[in-house]
Amino acid sequence: MPELEHKMHIGDLSLFYDGFKALEDINMKVYCRRITALIGPSGCGKSSLLRCLNRMNDLVEGARVEGRIELDGEDIYAVGCDLTHLRRRVGMVFQKPNPFPMSIFDNVAYGPRLEGRKGRGDLEEIVERSLRRAALWDEVKDKLKQSALALSGGQQQRLCIARVLAVQPEVILLDEPCSALDPISTQRIEDLLAELKDSYTIVIVTHNMQQAARVSDFTAFLTIENQGEPGRLVEYGETEEIFTRPRDPRTENYITGRFG
Amino acid sequence: MEPRKDFHQQLEEMYLELLRMSNRCLELIDDTRVAFLDLDGEKAERIIAADEEIDDMRYSLEESGIELIARQAPVAVDLRTIIVIMRLAQHLERVADLCVNISKAIINLSGHASLSSWIKENMDEMFKRSARMLSCATQAFRDRDLTLAGELNEMDEKVDRINRAFLTGFDRDSEEELELVVRVVLISRFIERIADHAVDIGEHVRFLVTGSVQEGD
Repeated sequence: MPELEHKMHIGDLSLFYDGFKALEDINMKVYCRRITALIGPSGCGKSSLLRCLNRMNDLVEGARVEGRIELDGEDIYAVGCDLTHLRRRVGMVFQKPNPFPMSIFDNVAYGPRLEGRKGRGDLEEIVERSLRRAALWDEVKDKLKQSALALSGGQQQRLCIARVLAVQPEVILLDEPCSALDPISTQRIEDLLAELKDSYTIVIVTHNMQQAARVSDFTAFLTIENQGEPGRLVEYGETEEIFTRPRDPRTENYITGRFG
Repeated sequence: MEPRKDFHQQLEEMYLELLRMSNRCLELIDDTRVAFLDLDGEKAERIIAADEEIDDMRYSLEESGIELIARQAPVAVDLRTIIVIMRLAQHLERVADLCVNISKAIINLSGHASLSSWIKENMDEMFKRSARMLSCATQAFRDRDLTLAGELNEMDEKVDRINRAFLTGFDRDSEEELELVVRVVLISRFIERIADHAVDIGEHVRFLVTGSVQEGD
Protein backbone atom coordinates (compact mmCIF):
# COMPACT_ATOMS: atom_id res chain seq x y z
CA MET A 1 0.00 0.00 0.00
CA PRO A 2 1.29 3.47 -0.80
CA GLU A 3 2.50 5.91 1.81
CA LEU A 4 -0.52 8.15 1.85
CA GLU A 5 -1.96 10.31 4.56
CA HIS A 6 -4.94 8.57 6.10
CA LYS A 7 -8.11 10.16 7.40
CA MET A 8 -9.54 7.24 9.31
CA HIS A 9 -7.97 4.19 10.86
CA ILE A 10 -10.00 1.10 11.62
CA GLY A 11 -8.19 -1.14 14.11
CA ASP A 12 -9.23 -4.66 15.19
CA LEU A 13 -12.85 -3.71 14.71
CA SER A 14 -15.57 -6.21 15.53
CA LEU A 15 -19.27 -5.43 15.49
CA PHE A 16 -22.00 -7.28 17.33
CA TYR A 17 -25.76 -7.12 17.04
CA ASP A 18 -26.70 -8.58 20.42
CA GLY A 19 -25.14 -12.07 20.35
CA PHE A 20 -24.47 -12.06 16.60
CA LYS A 21 -21.01 -11.09 15.44
CA ALA A 22 -21.46 -9.17 12.17
CA LEU A 23 -17.84 -8.09 11.61
CA GLU A 24 -14.57 -9.48 12.90
CA ASP A 25 -11.07 -8.03 13.13
CA ILE A 26 -11.34 -5.37 10.46
CA ASN A 27 -8.11 -3.46 9.98
CA MET A 28 -7.81 -0.81 7.33
CA LYS A 29 -6.98 2.81 6.68
CA VAL A 30 -9.20 5.22 4.81
CA TYR A 31 -7.00 7.53 2.80
CA CYS A 32 -7.40 11.31 2.56
CA ARG A 33 -9.12 12.67 -0.53
CA ARG A 34 -9.46 9.27 -2.11
CA ILE A 35 -12.49 7.15 -2.89
CA THR A 36 -12.59 3.83 -1.08
CA ALA A 37 -15.12 1.25 -2.22
CA LEU A 38 -16.43 -1.53 0.00
CA ILE A 39 -17.56 -4.56 -1.98
CA GLY A 40 -18.71 -8.04 -1.09
CA PRO A 41 -21.71 -10.35 -1.19
CA SER A 42 -24.96 -9.57 0.59
CA GLY A 43 -24.64 -10.01 4.32
CA CYS A 44 -20.85 -9.60 4.40
CA GLY A 45 -21.19 -6.53 6.61
CA LYS A 46 -20.03 -3.81 4.23
CA SER A 47 -22.93 -1.49 5.03
CA SER A 48 -22.49 -2.27 8.72
CA LEU A 49 -18.84 -1.31 8.43
CA LEU A 50 -19.78 1.93 6.70
CA ARG A 51 -22.26 2.75 9.44
CA CYS A 52 -19.57 2.21 12.06
CA LEU A 53 -17.59 5.08 10.54
CA ASN A 54 -19.99 7.73 11.86
CA ARG A 55 -21.55 5.62 14.59
CA MET A 56 -24.83 5.22 12.78
CA ASN A 57 -24.97 1.73 14.31
CA ASP A 58 -25.50 3.35 17.70
CA LEU A 59 -29.11 3.79 16.55
CA VAL A 60 -29.51 0.01 16.28
CA GLU A 61 -30.55 -1.57 19.57
CA GLY A 62 -28.08 -4.15 20.79
CA ALA A 63 -25.30 -2.97 18.46
CA ARG A 64 -21.87 -2.93 20.08
CA VAL A 65 -18.35 -2.53 18.72
CA GLU A 66 -14.94 -3.69 19.87
CA GLY A 67 -11.71 -2.18 18.62
CA ARG A 68 -11.04 1.35 17.46
CA ILE A 69 -11.97 3.73 14.71
CA GLU A 70 -9.89 6.87 14.59
CA LEU A 71 -10.73 10.05 12.78
CA ASP A 72 -7.62 12.18 12.45
CA GLY A 73 -6.07 10.09 15.20
CA GLU A 74 -8.94 10.42 17.69
CA ASP A 75 -11.10 7.45 18.67
CA ILE A 76 -14.67 8.17 17.64
CA TYR A 77 -15.91 5.51 20.06
CA ALA A 78 -14.19 7.18 23.03
CA VAL A 79 -16.37 8.25 25.93
CA GLY A 80 -17.45 11.85 25.49
CA CYS A 81 -17.27 11.90 21.71
CA ASP A 82 -19.78 14.47 20.45
CA LEU A 83 -22.00 12.49 18.07
CA THR A 84 -23.57 15.51 16.40
CA HIS A 85 -20.13 16.92 15.73
CA LEU A 86 -18.91 13.52 14.46
CA ARG A 87 -21.81 13.16 12.03
CA ARG A 88 -21.25 16.68 10.75
CA ARG A 89 -17.63 15.78 10.02
CA VAL A 90 -18.56 12.37 8.62
CA GLY A 91 -21.70 12.82 6.51
CA MET A 92 -23.81 10.09 5.02
CA VAL A 93 -25.84 9.54 1.85
CA PHE A 94 -28.25 6.62 1.77
CA GLN A 95 -29.38 4.08 -0.77
CA LYS A 96 -32.78 5.62 -1.33
CA PRO A 97 -32.80 9.41 -1.80
CA ASN A 98 -34.41 10.81 1.33
CA PRO A 99 -35.06 14.54 0.89
CA PHE A 100 -37.08 16.18 3.67
CA PRO A 101 -40.65 17.09 2.69
CA MET A 102 -39.78 20.74 2.32
CA SER A 103 -38.40 23.07 -0.36
CA ILE A 104 -35.13 22.47 -2.18
CA PHE A 105 -33.67 25.52 -0.44
CA ASP A 106 -34.76 24.41 3.02
CA ASN A 107 -33.37 20.92 2.47
CA VAL A 108 -29.89 22.28 1.89
CA ALA A 109 -30.21 25.00 4.54
CA TYR A 110 -31.42 22.51 7.14
CA GLY A 111 -28.04 21.56 8.55
CA PRO A 112 -26.55 25.07 8.61
CA ARG A 113 -29.72 26.35 10.35
CA LEU A 114 -29.35 23.69 13.04
CA GLU A 115 -25.83 24.99 13.54
CA GLY A 116 -27.33 28.42 14.20
CA ARG A 117 -26.68 30.10 10.89
CA LYS A 118 -29.74 32.25 10.33
CA GLY A 119 -28.75 35.12 8.02
CA ARG A 120 -30.59 34.98 4.69
CA GLY A 121 -27.55 36.06 2.66
CA ASP A 122 -25.31 33.62 4.50
CA LEU A 123 -27.71 30.73 3.89
CA GLU A 124 -28.26 31.68 0.26
CA GLU A 125 -24.55 31.54 -0.28
CA ILE A 126 -24.21 28.15 1.40
CA VAL A 127 -27.17 26.73 -0.54
CA GLU A 128 -25.85 27.93 -3.89
CA ARG A 129 -22.32 26.73 -3.20
CA SER A 130 -23.53 23.31 -2.06
CA LEU A 131 -25.90 22.86 -4.99
CA ARG A 132 -23.18 23.91 -7.42
CA ARG A 133 -20.75 21.48 -5.82
CA ALA A 134 -23.37 18.74 -6.13
CA ALA A 135 -23.82 19.56 -9.84
CA LEU A 136 -27.48 20.39 -9.30
CA TRP A 137 -27.54 24.20 -9.28
CA ASP A 138 -28.24 24.76 -12.98
CA GLU A 139 -31.21 22.42 -12.85
CA VAL A 140 -32.89 23.89 -9.74
CA LYS A 141 -31.74 27.52 -9.42
CA ASP A 142 -35.12 28.85 -10.66
CA LYS A 143 -37.23 26.64 -8.43
CA LEU A 144 -35.50 26.65 -5.08
CA LYS A 145 -38.82 27.20 -3.30
CA GLN A 146 -40.41 24.14 -4.90
CA SER A 147 -40.77 20.90 -3.00
CA ALA A 148 -37.73 18.67 -3.16
CA LEU A 149 -40.07 15.72 -3.58
CA ALA A 150 -40.92 16.92 -7.10
CA LEU A 151 -37.35 16.29 -8.27
CA SER A 152 -36.38 13.13 -10.14
CA GLY A 153 -34.65 10.32 -8.24
CA GLY A 154 -31.24 11.28 -9.57
CA GLN A 155 -31.79 14.94 -8.68
CA GLN A 156 -33.02 13.99 -5.22
CA GLN A 157 -29.85 11.98 -4.63
CA ARG A 158 -27.67 14.92 -5.70
CA LEU A 159 -29.78 17.13 -3.41
CA CYS A 160 -28.98 14.75 -0.54
CA ILE A 161 -25.30 15.08 -1.41
CA ALA A 162 -25.70 18.89 -1.45
CA ARG A 163 -27.36 18.65 1.96
CA VAL A 164 -24.35 16.79 3.30
CA LEU A 165 -21.93 19.25 1.68
CA ALA A 166 -23.75 22.22 3.25
CA VAL A 167 -22.37 21.39 6.69
CA GLN A 168 -18.83 21.12 5.29
CA PRO A 169 -17.98 17.54 6.17
CA GLU A 170 -14.53 16.00 5.87
CA VAL A 171 -15.64 12.46 5.06
CA ILE A 172 -18.65 11.43 2.99
CA LEU A 173 -20.10 7.94 3.37
CA LEU A 174 -22.35 6.66 0.61
CA ASP A 175 -24.40 3.49 1.03
CA GLU A 176 -25.24 2.20 -2.45
CA PRO A 177 -26.15 5.71 -3.59
CA CYS A 178 -26.99 4.69 -7.16
CA SER A 179 -28.89 1.45 -6.65
CA ALA A 180 -32.25 3.20 -7.16
CA LEU A 181 -31.07 5.34 -10.09
CA ASP A 182 -31.09 4.95 -13.87
CA PRO A 183 -27.74 4.69 -15.75
CA ILE A 184 -27.59 8.38 -16.72
CA SER A 185 -28.27 9.56 -13.16
CA THR A 186 -25.75 6.99 -11.96
CA GLN A 187 -23.14 8.41 -14.34
CA ARG A 188 -23.84 11.92 -12.99
CA ILE A 189 -23.27 10.77 -9.42
CA GLU A 190 -20.07 8.97 -10.44
CA ASP A 191 -18.78 12.11 -12.21
CA LEU A 192 -19.70 14.12 -9.14
CA LEU A 193 -17.77 11.77 -6.84
CA ALA A 194 -14.70 12.11 -9.04
CA GLU A 195 -14.91 15.91 -8.60
CA LEU A 196 -15.61 15.78 -4.88
CA LYS A 197 -12.63 13.63 -4.04
CA ASP A 198 -10.36 16.63 -4.54
CA SER A 199 -11.81 18.02 -1.33
CA TYR A 200 -13.32 15.12 0.57
CA THR A 201 -12.51 11.63 1.72
CA ILE A 202 -15.17 9.32 0.32
CA VAL A 203 -16.22 5.81 1.26
CA ILE A 204 -18.81 4.08 -0.91
CA VAL A 205 -20.61 0.78 -0.50
CA THR A 206 -21.69 -0.61 -3.83
CA HIS A 207 -23.19 -3.82 -5.13
CA ASN A 208 -22.11 -2.81 -8.60
CA MET A 209 -18.58 -4.06 -9.01
CA GLN A 210 -18.08 -2.12 -12.21
CA GLN A 211 -19.00 1.02 -10.31
CA ALA A 212 -16.33 0.23 -7.73
CA ALA A 213 -13.87 -0.35 -10.57
CA ARG A 214 -14.82 2.91 -12.28
CA VAL A 215 -14.92 5.35 -9.39
CA SER A 216 -12.73 4.17 -6.56
CA ASP A 217 -9.02 4.49 -5.85
CA PHE A 218 -9.03 1.75 -3.23
CA THR A 219 -11.22 -1.30 -2.91
CA ALA A 220 -11.88 -3.43 0.13
CA PHE A 221 -13.40 -6.86 -0.37
CA LEU A 222 -15.30 -8.33 2.54
CA THR A 223 -16.91 -11.73 2.71
CA ILE A 224 -18.45 -14.32 4.99
CA GLU A 225 -17.17 -17.87 4.82
CA ASN A 226 -20.45 -19.44 5.92
CA GLN A 227 -23.90 -18.25 6.84
CA GLY A 228 -23.96 -17.00 10.42
CA GLU A 229 -20.25 -16.23 10.52
CA PRO A 230 -18.94 -12.67 10.80
CA GLY A 231 -17.83 -10.62 7.81
CA ARG A 232 -14.08 -10.35 7.41
CA LEU A 233 -11.84 -8.17 5.26
CA VAL A 234 -10.26 -10.47 2.69
CA GLU A 235 -8.29 -8.04 0.59
CA TYR A 236 -7.74 -4.31 0.53
CA GLY A 237 -5.67 -2.52 -2.06
CA GLU A 238 -5.52 -0.19 -4.99
CA THR A 239 -8.56 -0.68 -7.18
CA GLU A 240 -6.45 -1.28 -10.27
CA GLU A 241 -4.66 -4.15 -8.54
CA ILE A 242 -7.84 -5.65 -7.11
CA PHE A 243 -9.54 -5.73 -10.49
CA THR A 244 -6.58 -6.84 -12.60
CA ARG A 245 -4.59 -9.14 -10.35
CA PRO A 246 -6.16 -9.77 -6.97
CA ARG A 247 -3.92 -11.66 -4.58
CA ASP A 248 -6.55 -13.71 -2.81
CA PRO A 249 -8.42 -16.39 -4.79
CA ARG A 250 -11.61 -15.51 -2.88
CA THR A 251 -11.42 -11.97 -4.27
CA GLU A 252 -10.79 -13.32 -7.75
CA ASN A 253 -13.73 -15.71 -7.50
CA TYR A 254 -16.02 -12.93 -6.33
CA ILE A 255 -15.13 -10.27 -8.87
CA THR A 256 -15.16 -12.72 -11.78
CA GLY A 257 -18.55 -14.03 -10.70
CA ARG A 258 -17.38 -17.48 -9.68
CA PHE A 259 -18.76 -16.92 -6.21
CA GLY A 260 -20.90 -19.84 -5.05
CA MET B 1 -24.48 -22.17 -8.36
CA GLU B 2 -22.28 -20.05 -10.56
CA PRO B 3 -23.87 -16.67 -11.29
CA ARG B 4 -22.04 -15.98 -14.57
CA LYS B 5 -22.49 -19.43 -16.05
CA ASP B 6 -23.22 -18.32 -19.62
CA PHE B 7 -20.26 -15.99 -19.66
CA HIS B 8 -17.87 -18.62 -18.39
CA GLN B 9 -19.27 -21.12 -20.86
CA GLN B 10 -18.56 -18.71 -23.72
CA LEU B 11 -15.07 -18.14 -22.37
CA GLU B 12 -14.53 -21.90 -22.23
CA GLU B 13 -15.66 -22.18 -25.85
CA MET B 14 -13.12 -19.53 -26.89
CA TYR B 15 -10.45 -21.41 -25.02
CA LEU B 16 -11.31 -24.72 -26.73
CA GLU B 17 -11.47 -23.04 -30.12
CA LEU B 18 -7.99 -21.63 -29.60
CA LEU B 19 -6.66 -25.10 -28.75
CA ARG B 20 -8.29 -26.41 -31.95
CA MET B 21 -6.68 -23.58 -33.91
CA SER B 22 -3.30 -24.44 -32.46
CA ASN B 23 -3.73 -28.11 -33.36
CA ARG B 24 -4.66 -27.13 -36.88
CA CYS B 25 -1.49 -25.01 -37.12
CA LEU B 26 0.63 -27.92 -35.89
CA GLU B 27 -0.87 -30.09 -38.64
CA LEU B 28 -0.07 -27.39 -41.18
CA ILE B 29 3.53 -27.16 -40.03
CA ASP B 30 3.92 -30.90 -40.36
CA ASP B 31 2.26 -30.92 -43.79
CA THR B 32 4.63 -28.13 -44.83
CA ARG B 33 7.59 -30.15 -43.60
CA VAL B 34 6.56 -33.18 -45.67
CA ALA B 35 5.79 -30.99 -48.71
CA PHE B 36 9.27 -29.51 -48.46
CA LEU B 37 11.10 -32.83 -48.08
CA ASP B 38 9.20 -34.28 -51.07
CA LEU B 39 9.19 -30.98 -52.97
CA ASP B 40 5.49 -31.72 -53.36
CA GLY B 41 3.92 -28.74 -55.15
CA GLU B 42 0.37 -30.10 -54.94
CA LYS B 43 0.57 -30.56 -51.19
CA ALA B 44 1.92 -27.03 -50.95
CA GLU B 45 -1.12 -25.75 -52.87
CA ARG B 46 -3.42 -27.45 -50.35
CA ILE B 47 -1.56 -25.75 -47.47
CA ILE B 48 -2.07 -22.37 -49.14
CA ALA B 49 -5.78 -23.11 -49.53
CA ALA B 50 -6.09 -24.01 -45.83
CA ASP B 51 -5.01 -20.52 -44.76
CA GLU B 52 -8.51 -19.14 -45.15
CA GLU B 53 -9.80 -21.57 -42.54
CA ILE B 54 -7.18 -20.34 -40.04
CA ASP B 55 -8.00 -16.70 -40.84
CA ASP B 56 -11.67 -17.41 -40.13
CA MET B 57 -10.79 -18.99 -36.80
CA ARG B 58 -8.87 -15.90 -35.82
CA TYR B 59 -11.65 -13.49 -36.83
CA SER B 60 -14.22 -15.57 -35.02
CA LEU B 61 -12.11 -15.60 -31.83
CA GLU B 62 -11.56 -11.87 -32.06
CA GLU B 63 -15.27 -11.20 -32.51
CA SER B 64 -16.11 -13.42 -29.55
CA GLY B 65 -13.51 -11.65 -27.41
CA ILE B 66 -14.75 -8.18 -28.32
CA GLU B 67 -18.32 -9.23 -27.65
CA LEU B 68 -17.48 -10.65 -24.23
CA ILE B 69 -15.54 -7.52 -23.28
CA ALA B 70 -18.40 -5.27 -24.41
CA ARG B 71 -21.21 -7.27 -22.84
CA GLN B 72 -19.71 -8.94 -19.80
CA ALA B 73 -17.19 -6.41 -18.46
CA PRO B 74 -14.69 -9.15 -17.56
CA VAL B 75 -12.05 -8.49 -14.90
CA ALA B 76 -8.94 -10.11 -13.46
CA VAL B 77 -8.17 -13.59 -14.79
CA ASP B 78 -11.20 -13.55 -17.11
CA LEU B 79 -10.06 -10.32 -18.75
CA ARG B 80 -6.52 -11.63 -19.10
CA THR B 81 -7.75 -14.90 -20.61
CA ILE B 82 -9.75 -13.07 -23.28
CA ILE B 83 -6.88 -10.73 -24.11
CA VAL B 84 -4.41 -13.61 -24.27
CA ILE B 85 -6.66 -15.77 -26.45
CA MET B 86 -7.07 -12.86 -28.89
CA ARG B 87 -3.30 -12.31 -28.97
CA LEU B 88 -2.57 -16.02 -29.40
CA ALA B 89 -5.06 -16.25 -32.26
CA GLN B 90 -3.12 -13.50 -34.00
CA HIS B 91 0.18 -15.33 -33.52
CA LEU B 92 -1.30 -18.60 -34.79
CA GLU B 93 -2.71 -16.85 -37.83
CA ARG B 94 0.78 -15.53 -38.55
CA VAL B 95 2.18 -19.06 -38.17
CA ALA B 96 -0.27 -20.24 -40.85
CA ASP B 97 0.78 -17.31 -43.04
CA LEU B 98 4.39 -18.43 -42.69
CA CYS B 99 3.39 -21.93 -43.79
CA VAL B 100 1.82 -20.28 -46.84
CA ASN B 101 5.05 -18.38 -47.54
CA ILE B 102 7.06 -21.58 -47.24
CA SER B 103 4.58 -23.41 -49.50
CA LYS B 104 4.98 -20.76 -52.20
CA ALA B 105 8.74 -21.24 -52.04
CA ILE B 106 8.22 -25.04 -52.23
CA ILE B 107 6.16 -24.60 -55.41
CA ASN B 108 8.98 -22.59 -56.93
CA LEU B 109 11.48 -25.24 -55.88
CA SER B 110 9.44 -28.19 -57.09
CA GLY B 111 11.08 -28.05 -60.51
CA HIS B 112 14.40 -28.98 -58.92
CA ALA B 113 15.37 -32.59 -59.05
CA SER B 114 16.29 -33.04 -55.41
CA LEU B 115 17.69 -31.47 -52.27
CA SER B 116 20.97 -32.46 -50.69
CA SER B 117 20.73 -34.64 -47.60
CA TRP B 118 22.39 -31.85 -45.59
CA ILE B 119 19.54 -29.46 -46.44
CA LYS B 120 16.87 -32.10 -45.83
CA GLU B 121 18.20 -33.17 -42.46
CA ASN B 122 18.63 -29.68 -41.10
CA MET B 123 15.33 -28.44 -42.43
CA ASP B 124 13.53 -31.50 -41.06
CA GLU B 125 15.11 -30.80 -37.67
CA MET B 126 14.09 -27.16 -37.80
CA PHE B 127 10.48 -27.90 -38.74
CA LYS B 128 10.20 -30.46 -35.95
CA ARG B 129 11.76 -28.19 -33.35
CA SER B 130 9.50 -25.28 -34.27
CA ALA B 131 6.42 -27.50 -34.18
CA ARG B 132 7.54 -28.85 -30.82
CA MET B 133 7.92 -25.28 -29.53
CA LEU B 134 4.45 -24.31 -30.68
CA SER B 135 3.08 -27.45 -29.07
CA CYS B 136 4.84 -26.61 -25.78
CA ALA B 137 3.65 -23.01 -25.94
CA THR B 138 0.06 -24.20 -26.37
CA GLN B 139 0.48 -26.68 -23.55
CA ALA B 140 1.89 -23.91 -21.33
CA PHE B 141 -1.21 -21.84 -22.13
CA ARG B 142 -3.55 -24.76 -21.49
CA ASP B 143 -1.92 -25.69 -18.16
CA ARG B 144 -0.90 -22.13 -17.20
CA ASP B 145 2.58 -23.59 -16.85
CA LEU B 146 5.15 -20.83 -16.33
CA THR B 147 8.07 -23.26 -16.20
CA LEU B 148 7.25 -24.70 -19.60
CA ALA B 149 6.67 -21.21 -21.01
CA GLY B 150 10.09 -20.22 -19.67
CA GLU B 151 11.81 -23.09 -21.49
CA LEU B 152 10.79 -21.74 -24.89
CA ASN B 153 13.62 -19.20 -25.03
CA GLU B 154 16.21 -21.92 -24.66
CA MET B 155 14.46 -24.07 -27.26
CA ASP B 156 14.46 -21.11 -29.62
CA GLU B 157 18.24 -20.78 -29.49
CA LYS B 158 18.66 -24.18 -31.16
CA VAL B 159 16.33 -23.17 -33.99
CA ASP B 160 18.24 -19.92 -34.39
CA ARG B 161 21.47 -21.89 -34.60
CA ILE B 162 20.24 -24.04 -37.47
CA ASN B 163 18.90 -20.96 -39.22
CA ARG B 164 22.34 -19.34 -38.98
CA ALA B 165 23.90 -22.54 -40.28
CA PHE B 166 21.84 -22.19 -43.45
CA LEU B 167 23.19 -18.67 -43.96
CA THR B 168 26.81 -19.74 -43.66
CA GLY B 169 26.77 -23.48 -44.37
CA PHE B 170 26.45 -23.62 -48.12
CA ASP B 171 29.58 -24.70 -49.88
CA ARG B 172 30.42 -21.76 -52.09
CA ASP B 173 32.27 -23.94 -54.56
CA SER B 174 29.45 -26.43 -54.98
CA GLU B 175 27.20 -26.78 -57.91
CA GLU B 176 24.10 -25.74 -56.03
CA GLU B 177 22.48 -22.98 -57.95
CA LEU B 178 21.84 -19.57 -56.47
CA GLU B 179 18.03 -19.70 -56.70
CA LEU B 180 17.90 -22.86 -54.65
CA VAL B 181 20.20 -21.41 -52.00
CA VAL B 182 18.14 -18.21 -51.73
CA ARG B 183 14.87 -20.11 -51.40
CA VAL B 184 16.22 -22.50 -48.80
CA VAL B 185 17.60 -19.61 -46.75
CA LEU B 186 14.23 -17.89 -47.05
CA ILE B 187 12.36 -21.00 -45.88
CA SER B 188 14.75 -21.39 -42.98
CA ARG B 189 14.04 -17.80 -41.99
CA PHE B 190 10.26 -18.45 -42.17
CA ILE B 191 10.57 -21.47 -39.87
CA GLU B 192 12.68 -19.47 -37.48
CA ARG B 193 9.82 -16.91 -37.36
CA ILE B 194 7.38 -19.70 -36.45
CA ALA B 195 9.60 -20.51 -33.46
CA ASP B 196 9.61 -16.81 -32.52
CA HIS B 197 5.82 -16.83 -32.42
CA ALA B 198 5.97 -19.75 -30.00
CA VAL B 199 8.30 -17.70 -27.77
CA ASP B 200 5.85 -14.78 -27.91
CA ILE B 201 3.01 -17.08 -26.91
CA GLY B 202 5.09 -18.08 -23.88
CA GLU B 203 5.34 -14.39 -22.94
CA HIS B 204 1.58 -14.05 -23.09
CA VAL B 205 1.23 -17.10 -20.84
CA ARG B 206 3.35 -15.28 -18.28
CA PHE B 207 0.97 -12.31 -18.45
CA LEU B 208 -2.01 -14.66 -18.15
CA VAL B 209 -0.65 -16.26 -15.00
CA THR B 210 0.97 -13.32 -13.23
CA GLY B 211 -0.95 -10.31 -14.55
CA SER B 212 2.34 -8.50 -15.13
CA VAL B 213 2.78 -6.80 -18.47
CA GLN B 214 6.50 -6.35 -18.01
CA GLU B 215 8.99 -9.10 -17.41
CA GLY B 216 10.04 -9.36 -13.77
CA ASP B 217 7.39 -6.85 -12.70
